[in-house]
Amino acid sequence: MKNLRNVAVVGFAQQPVVSRDEHRTTHEMLYPTVRQALADCGVDRDAIEYQVAGSTDYMDGRPFGFVMALDVMGSWPPRQDLHLEMDAAFAAYYAWVRLQTGECDTAMVVGYGKTSEGDPNRILNLQLDPYYQAPIGLDPTSTAALQASAYMARTGITDSDLAAVAARNRAAGARNPDSQVREATTAAELQKTPWAVEPLRTGYLPPVGESATCLILAAEGKAEKMCDRPVWIHGVDHRAEMQTLGARDLSRSASTQLAAEKALAMAGMRRANEADVAELLTPTPSEELIVCEALGLAPLGLAPLGLAPEGSRPAINPSGGALCAHPIMMTGLIRLGEVFRQLSGRAGARAVPNARRGIAHVTQGHCLQHNMVWVLGSERRWS
Amino acid sequence: MGNEPPQQGIKYIESTVHLPYDYVAGDYKARYLRALKDKKILGSKCSKTGKVFVPPIVNSPESFAPATEFVELPDRGVITTFCVVNIPVIGRNLEIPYVAASVALDGAAISIFAAIQECKLEDVRMGMRVEAVWKPDGERHGDYEDIQYFRPTGEPDAPQESYINRL
Repeated sequence: MKNLRNVAVVGFAQQPVVSRDEHRTTHEMLYPTVRQALADCGVDRDAIEYQVAGSTDYMDGRPFGFVMALDVMGSWPPRQDLHLEMDAAFAAYYAWVRLQTGECDTAMVVGYGKTSEGDPNRILNLQLDPYYQAPIGLDPTSTAALQASAYMARTGITDSDLAAVAARNRAAGARNPDSQVREATTAAELQKTPWAVEPLRTGYLPPVGESATCLILAAEGKAEKMCDRPVWIHGVDHRAEMQTLGARDLSRSASTQLAAEKALAMAGMRRANEADVAELLTPTPSEELIVCEALGLAPLGLAPLGLAPEGSRPAINPSGGALCAHPIMMTGLIRLGEVFRQLSGRAGARAVPNARRGIAHVTQGHCLQHNMVWVLGSERRWS
Repeated sequence: MGNEPPQQGIKYIESTVHLPYDYVAGDYKARYLRALKDKKILGSKCSKTGKVFVPPIVNSPESFAPATEFVELPDRGVITTFCVVNIPVIGRNLEIPYVAASVALDGAAISIFAAIQECKLEDVRMGMRVEAVWKPDGERHGDYEDIQYFRPTGEPDAPQESYINRL
């Protein structure tokens, strides 16, 4: 493969995920986050040449609500700016593409949104078509439950397996100060929680959470000056599937599988299990198992690595994952941020020892419709 | 049943979107709104340039520096720009035509929007000195309507250079 430009994550800041910040608006949460990310890189705002945001105006409840974020991002003198109505990890992808063109050497990516101010289930229901799917009242929990049923039917995975995956995430989340759910629990306890939408129990779902996030990217030459241990992007790819839920096999994630193949090839890796850590945007245990299978972390149809013993590589969701903190529109960027923290020695009590390569998975849409896979490493990819 | 479309066509599907929101005011706006109840107007001061923003905001959009210090502003200032509204405006119970103006309060770096009343439309001009007309005591609730409108003070007009950078 042709050599690409070495681009690194050099900074990441987030507000601890909470159910509702009563003191700050979404932009007031974002301002100190941007300041923190820049301060960590030791640069002024003027050092950043390009900015991209990921959020949804439906969460803001204001058309073009994203323009208000410009006031807290330091947008004077006038900046090159872009906004995506997507998880901010996709904004990071746009920034990476922009950096590849050579038009800029540095970029700032922000994700924000006060999930508590609106009704995420109603809002995300509107992602579905207005003729057949949305009027039924499907929301992300019920579509995830449809997917869980399909996966359980194909693989023979049971309720206790889902509980085990959820419990492993909960144990990890207890070590992450930015996580919303920070109480470890047992699979047996989780299995006693009531059905949310069968076969998903309330214990297998994340609470509504909000945060603000900022990630800084820089190209080789500048990255080393902005971070003691830049985390280099080795590969990235994203693929989308059909919108109609009935048109695809919900028990599998073909788009994750293809994106992973492409991203791993770009990274010069043969298999995902060459990575030390993987952070997955999987708010439910069934989605985690489907994504693990698609990443090739488990032989198709066999017991997935999601249930592997502690210490297996890659470590899955050492942050506690989306199951413990799911601020919509930034949960994906947090996955990138978490891999950065792991590979740059900033992961504190949740550090995976000697982590040198990591995978960040991001999804958008109902039932894993659109998936992106990042491969990151502590060494430069291309010489 | 063939593949022909139905004779009695279903032309529309009704789809009502109902999305309720419950906004956090935030400490800055909350302080500003609470102060209106006491006939006080608060702004926040840029820690780098000293510019005062009203309503208060957490940082200067221009300098990117924090604006943490709250300052009280007088309830009078100058019309920096205005327009004459001849169409009904959603949410405002004002007789048309009326004047909507940018009012730069004395000491503020940016202006607020206000209706101008108690004067003829044709008398309104840039540089005109105006003051707030508040709702009476006991009727202010800490919301934007606590200031009903602005009216001329009768003072001499402000020179253009005093407000030209606060348009």
